[in-house]
Amino acid sequence: MAKKHYIIVSVTLGAIAASAAALIGLTNFITRNRIEENKKIKIQEGIAEIFGKEASIKNEYSIEKNDYQYVNYVYEIQKDNTIGYAFKSEGSNMYGKISLIVGFDAANNFVSLNIVEDEQTYATALEDDYIAPVNGGSRDINDVNCGATFGAKLVRDMVNEAKKANEEKVWIK
Amino acid sequence: MKREKGYTKKNFLKGIIAENPLFVSILGTCPALATTKTIEAALGMGILFTIVLICSSVLVSLLRKVISEEIRTPAYIVIIATFVTIVKMLTNAFLPELFSTLGVFISLIVVNCIVLGRAEAYASKNNVFDSFIDALGMGLGYTLAILSMAVFREILGTGAISFGKIFYFIPYFKLQIIPKNYVLSIFQNPAGAFIVFGVILAVIAFFSNRKKEYQAYLARQEKIRKAEEAKKLAAQKAEGGNK
Repeated sequence: MAKKHYIIVSVTLGAIAASAAALIGLTNFITRNRIEENKKIKIQEGIAEIFGKEASIKNEYSIEKNDYQYVNYVYEIQKDNTIGYAFKSEGSNMYGKISLIVGFDAANNFVSLNIVEDEQTYATALEDDYIAPVNGGSRDINDVNCGATFGAKLVRDMVNEAKKANEEKVWIK
Repeated sequence: MKREKGYTKKNFLKGIIAENPLFVSILGTCPALATTKTIEAALGMGILFTIVLICSSVLVSLLRKVISEEIRTPAYIVIIATFVTIVKMLTNAFLPELFSTLGVFISLIVVNCIVLGRAEAYASKNNVFDSFIDALGMGLGYTLAILSMAVFREILGTGAISFGKIFYFIPYFKLQIIPKNYVLSIFQNPAGAFIVFGVILAVIAFFSNRKKEYQAYLARQEKIRKAEEAKKLAAQKAEGGNK
């Protein structure tokens, strides 16, 4: 009797889990391409916000993840000539995932950063109290005490890694 | 089992007024404080929340005889998490602005006590139709509650009402109600959310206490009236006896 009961319980839970997996898989199949397209649009919008509306992507390079924890993509930005590089950087901590575009001009100076995806719980504090002042030049990237300090530390590390990747010109290697 | 007349209407309305999940049961306060900066974000949150609540309640009710006692909670969590994941993916694909505005709070619907609470307290014991009506009422009640908070926060915090940024298929409009120099930006911050929530709760408590006091007054009056009637009756009886 007990054995039969355990089997029924296991089968029920298994069936629920399998149906859940099938439903999620089906939704993923339907939405996957659209989500990817949305991400691409967000990246292009981010680049336009950093370098101006006339800027376009000249080349893009995927970076091997071995040496870098966050940076995974580089975009060479042009107007008439190359005007800088944008780095796509992804990271996460216990408060959620964050994805950024970090821009540097042709002389290797940091221009600004733009959020592609932000799942941090304290998103408003991070964006209003840290990222906006950093972009505006009123806060140093290393000054992370902002009410969303853990998120700001993650952004700082992502930007600093992008800085390093830009100085090392990793995409040429 | 015979149903009470007007049960469906009562079942639907209880979630909106008498048992409003946010203002009466004080459940689901975290997203209510975080996603009520704008009316549009609050409406988006309310719609997503209602969809998850309805789907999970209906499925829990459908499976109530199949899911045994020991695995009730994990099974409900799997069901709720599945619907939240599906809603999250669909929002990310078709309403990307809403997805980035609500951020982590879409995922956090999984741990919203209202959803698990309705599954446990209502859907697991009632039929599919009643569970659907209950979930619809609760979802609508929650949506209206967060919308009312958002109206105050957006008007007082920005001085205007705007629509069409998140729901991009609606033409964008902005209605300036308070001149920009007179806006109180605190209402756009978490502190402002707490103030608005507190004031609304205080107003509700005031009116519900007034209602209780009035009912108590009516009950007292009724008691006095009955006592006087009894007194009169006794006096009449005594008078009749003396004659």
